[in-house]
Amino acid sequence: MTDTSSPHEIARALADPTQAPDLGLARMGRTAWKALPFMRPMMWHIIVILSLGFAMGAVVAFATTLGLDLFTNKVLLGDRIQPMQAFLLGLDGSYVVEGVDTDGATAAEATDDANAGLTDDQRRTVRARMLVWFVAMGAFGLVLGTVLRYYGAWVWQNVNQYLRVTMIERLEHLSLRFHSDSRSGDAIYRIIQDSAQIVNLLREAIINPITMVYTLVIALTFIAAFDALLLLGVALVAVPMLVLTVLFTPRIRRRSVASRVAGSNLTSRLQETFAALKVVKASRAERLMLERFDRDSKRALDAALLLRFEMVVLSTLVMFFGGGAVIALEYVMAGWVVEARPTLLGGWAAALLGFTLWNLGAFQAAGERLGASLGTGYGMVRVWCMIQDLFIGLERAFYFLDLEPEIVERDSPVPYPRPVTSVTWQGVNFGYTPEQPVLKDVDLTAEAGEITAIVGATGSGKSTMMSLLLRLYDPDRGAVLVNDADLRDVRIDDIRSNCAIALQKNVLFTGKVADNIGYATGASRLEIEEAARIACADEFIRAMDSGFDTELGERGSKLSSGQRQRLTIARAVIRDTPILILDEPTASLDAETEHRVLANLGEWGADKIVLLITHRLSTIRGADRIAFLEDGRVREVGSHDELMARADGRYREFVQAETVGDATASPSEAPSRDFREDM
Amino acid sequence: MSETAGGRDIDTTVDTTQRRTLISGFKAGERFDDRIDTGPEISHANALVVVWRGLKLIAHVPGLFTAKFVFNSAMIVPGLFLAWFGKIITDNVLLQGEIVAEGARFPPHMMPLIRFLEGMGPMEVMLTLTTIYVVGLILIGTRAGEGGHSASTFGGSDPASNAENELSEGWTNSGGLIGLIEYWLSVRLSQRLGNALRTRLFARLTHSPMTTIDENRVGDSLYRVMYDSAITWGMIGSATMYPIFTVVGYVLTLYQLEYTYSDVAPELIWIAWIMLPVVFVVTFPVARLMRRTVHNARAAGAATTNSMEETMANIGAVQALSGMRREKERFAERSAHAFWRGRVNLLTYALMEFLINGARALVALVIAVLVSDQVIDEVLTAGDFVALFGLYMSIAGTASAVGDLWINIQDRIAPARRVFFFIDHESDEERYRGGTLRPIRQGVRMENVDYVYPDGRRALHDINVRLDIGELVAFVGPTGAGKTSLAYLVPAFLRPTRGRVLADGRNLEDVSLDSLRDQIAYVFQEHLLFSESIRDNLLIANPEATEAQMTAALETAACMEFIDDLPAGIDTVLGRSGDTLSVGQQQRLSIARGLVRDTRLLILDEPTAALDPQTENALVQALLRARADRLVVVIAHRLSTIRRADRIVFLDGGRIADIGSHDELMANPDGAYRRFVELQGA
Repeated sequence: MTDTSSPHEIARALADPTQAPDLGLARMGRTAWKALPFMRPMMWHIIVILSLGFAMGAVVAFATTLGLDLFTNKVLLGDRIQPMQAFLLGLDGSYVVEGVDTDGATAAEATDDANAGLTDDQRRTVRARMLVWFVAMGAFGLVLGTVLRYYGAWVWQNVNQYLRVTMIERLEHLSLRFHSDSRSGDAIYRIIQDSAQIVNLLREAIINPITMVYTLVIALTFIAAFDALLLLGVALVAVPMLVLTVLFTPRIRRRSVASRVAGSNLTSRLQETFAALKVVKASRAERLMLERFDRDSKRALDAALLLRFEMVVLSTLVMFFGGGAVIALEYVMAGWVVEARPTLLGGWAAALLGFTLWNLGAFQAAGERLGASLGTGYGMVRVWCMIQDLFIGLERAFYFLDLEPEIVERDSPVPYPRPVTSVTWQGVNFGYTPEQPVLKDVDLTAEAGEITAIVGATGSGKSTMMSLLLRLYDPDRGAVLVNDADLRDVRIDDIRSNCAIALQKNVLFTGKVADNIGYATGASRLEIEEAARIACADEFIRAMDSGFDTELGERGSKLSSGQRQRLTIARAVIRDTPILILDEPTASLDAETEHRVLANLGEWGADKIVLLITHRLSTIRGADRIAFLEDGRVREVGSHDELMARADGRYREFVQAETVGDATASPSEAPSRDFREDM
Repeated sequence: MSETAGGRDIDTTVDTTQRRTLISGFKAGERFDDRIDTGPEISHANALVVVWRGLKLIAHVPGLFTAKFVFNSAMIVPGLFLAWFGKIITDNVLLQGEIVAEGARFPPHMMPLIRFLEGMGPMEVMLTLTTIYVVGLILIGTRAGEGGHSASTFGGSDPASNAENELSEGWTNSGGLIGLIEYWLSVRLSQRLGNALRTRLFARLTHSPMTTIDENRVGDSLYRVMYDSAITWGMIGSATMYPIFTVVGYVLTLYQLEYTYSDVAPELIWIAWIMLPVVFVVTFPVARLMRRTVHNARAAGAATTNSMEETMANIGAVQALSGMRREKERFAERSAHAFWRGRVNLLTYALMEFLINGARALVALVIAVLVSDQVIDEVLTAGDFVALFGLYMSIAGTASAVGDLWINIQDRIAPARRVFFFIDHESDEERYRGGTLRPIRQGVRMENVDYVYPDGRRALHDINVRLDIGELVAFVGPTGAGKTSLAYLVPAFLRPTRGRVLADGRNLEDVSLDSLRDQIAYVFQEHLLFSESIRDNLLIANPEATEAQMTAALETAACMEFIDDLPAGIDTVLGRSGDTLSVGQQQRLSIARGLVRDTRLLILDEPTAALDPQTENALVQALLRARADRLVVVIAHRLSTIRRADRIVFLDGGRIADIGSHDELMANPDGAYRRFVELQGA
């Protein structure tokens, strides 16, 4: 089945309904229905573009017929022209066939003699006027055709754009739990490749098949008029053709899924390799990565080949039947011609077909229709195959839209409390997976005007507590409260716009320094500079080539980690929110800078709730309250001095570990420093 | 304006925020978010070079290419016969004429069959031909209704979604069973060529120097590897096989026509062939414009991919900072821009086609006037006109089919150049192909080293330092002092702009990168993990690592405690960039990955920043043990780590301000290091 390279992917594959290709007609219909809203904003344009397309087709057909008649019969053979043609060409009555008052068709026959034909000069005049029309219509057609193409592209691109944007919006709102379990490359593949199929839905999966059925019915009627046996022959081969298609359809769907999954895996491989290129280099893993890429690349190519080969094998088999039928029926028809057998409708057929007996013309006409009807048959099989892939793609695109975000806003959220006086974790239990609880009955309150440090070993759940405070996740049990309001009852936007966070991972975005600080706030340059000053970032920013307008490299790679860290602090500061979260804010800073930053922050954040996650003793000591987290539980809460006073306190033990081998100062002797006083 | 899809909002407002005019679309010089390849114009000479380099790729697939050529050539043969079958059926079956070999107007290769059919009755002839048809149907798909095999999926309205079809294009003249074989070979040919190009590009990108990696966008690299390199066969095929067979096929048709229209007016054929140079002449000025718009469309697509990739890779930060709206708008804007670029490109196509079709129509017009004059003057009959004009049109059709191939090539030059650009871009490997560096025994020495970034920022100044095997050296200094740059010099991630870096007395400029970097493990500040199992993450660093080595490394980096809690232990697959782990845990894994390489030199950039004191302690202890036969370099801020180093290199402003052990340096009351330590506040 689908090509999966790890148990992880198999698990994901099973969770993803689009991986199981049980794509019945009803489901295809539902998927098409789901695509409708994305077309609706463009509906009028779609109608206009389709009608213009049809109209142009009709005009071209009419003009071709007319032009052919004029050129062959009138210019080359010298017949007189029809009144309507004279009107179009702006010619007088001397060109026109006589007897125009009566029915044109009979008049043409009746007045054979009366119309001696056009003179040579007249023929040249007709030709000249025709050429004017030809050039004018050609130019007009080319211009209109170009406009239509541009217009059509615009319309369908917009439909694709709506789907893409809706997909990315949904992705952005899906919980981090979903994201940590899926690959960026997959999202990229779905948004770029899978979503693109929406532009083909209407034309290829709906209009085109209808036209084909129509063509087929016409051709079959025509054939039946010659001889019912022919129709029977066609019907006989249609059965195996149909059976083959039915048999192959699930195989093609599986191949299509496999091909798309392989493409998505390859995209992920590339994304992950390029994102971690430094490690690849440092590990001398270039060759290994190339081998893996090559393997994934070949898998994707194999999958694409197998999908196409499956289609080609089906069409070959179908063609064996179809082509065989054409060959066999031609043999039969040749026999009929030789014995001059009457056609089915006999005399009746004279009016419709012009053939009462089988002869050369009948053979050619019937053979042509026969070929056409079977050709349409293959066409339908081929389009059917492609439609399978189209729907697989669409289903993969809609997959995101069908995922319900875990974090859902209540229908009538309560207003965000103001002013914010406290945040509380109340009996919070949480785990990223049910088997692995991260937080166990966490109770903690942080007050405004206080600095609360959350301390604990790596992996004890510190950052998770902050994620819950931002409502990136909901607690499994218990609640996180702002004042007295449960976070689940207030608007998500309010929650996040009232929290500023300096992330541990120092994520920067490509773009200017100023844009990174003012990220998603729309802050003025003055505010940005002030925030940079508080984060002690302004000096190094001003030292750069273009100061605040300097473009940062991919994810801020031009900067040292200490510089990046200060930018993320500035980004938190500029949001000027009642709650400030600093996750390991100073890990990459040297002591001097750290002191300055913390001093600035202390002054700036006097009335805010400041939450500080840190390992650094020098930072911890500046906190008013310290919560010591161990193994997902809050073990101890108190000031540094209180906690150090506990003889067998866990915090005390923790602090002592940092100062092992420290001959000059032991932590308990060190004076408690409040960085607010330090400024 | 907003629509609702099953309760969801479809935002239709964000696609037109940037003003885009038709004229601006054709101008040169739009800068996308590329930093290295900044969208240069492609001159005609450059274009030729690109095509020539593409053609050289054929060397990767000589067998397949020849096979495809043979298959295509072989399929000319049945065409030489089948065309005459219709004539036999009409004349000798339906009209029941007698087959007489003597004096029959058939080309020589048909004569054996004619002689075989001689004397048969109409239905016997029909049976023979039908039998041949059936055999032909099964073998090569004769009378199957279509020429040969092809299969594709629907593409979308941007180059990226058409890349897969382009890459796996297969198209055959033969049908039936032989056609199946040819189809397989065709797709393989196209795929192998594409794969050859994209693996080459991938290899080059992974060998980019550190300074390039910092500048290059992930999405852009992805776009080039996935989508730009897919054009290979489209370009090569259009420049080699397709025109050959178009022309050869046509010449053969003409050859056969000689037997029926021996009085074909030769001047008509020549006029028709004038189409070919006309196509080149009229499209020549536009070709450059076309390459520009194609490049822009693709660069805009890459920028869209960048935006998407960045959002997805940093989704945690985006959500935490409530940047969803901003990111969505940025994506929507870029996506809309890319679509617009695609439409501008479409207009260039239309212009090209307008010129070609216009030229073709004008020539046809002239022919029609000339010939119809002769009809009116009764030199030619109307039937002659139809025959001659039809002949002319089919020759002109061939000529403009060759013209279409020319457009195809133009269309693919820009993406091909985008691929070759990075294949040509400087690569570490290429520049440093020196001799093998033997296992380092003494250590690394830097002499008068300066490093200045390409943009002119000075990172290091006059560095002289010796780092010996058996030492734990700490690089210390304020943020931005150049610690990382200094450490980067050791594995030659950076090359000094002045001075030398020596390993055991050998200048690093003269040793091969492989032999140097194989001896160094470098742990970065950022903890970049792969979304694979923990085991695989370690194996990437050292594919030969034994179970015991892995366990030892994981234990040293204090990973075992949390790995034991994971559902599948060491085989647990990490989520996106290791997101399922806490940052501290990711850091510990990164350290373990460095340790498992078991190299003579170990460099750790801020290894303890995210570690709690206990873990840090254990790690430093382990590093101290490990230094016995190694050189361990640690970049650190934490005093608890620093003070246990054998030597401290204290950097300030890109210069070495102090070197010595903690105690030595602390003994100097005015030392920069002492001041630094005192500020630590402990």
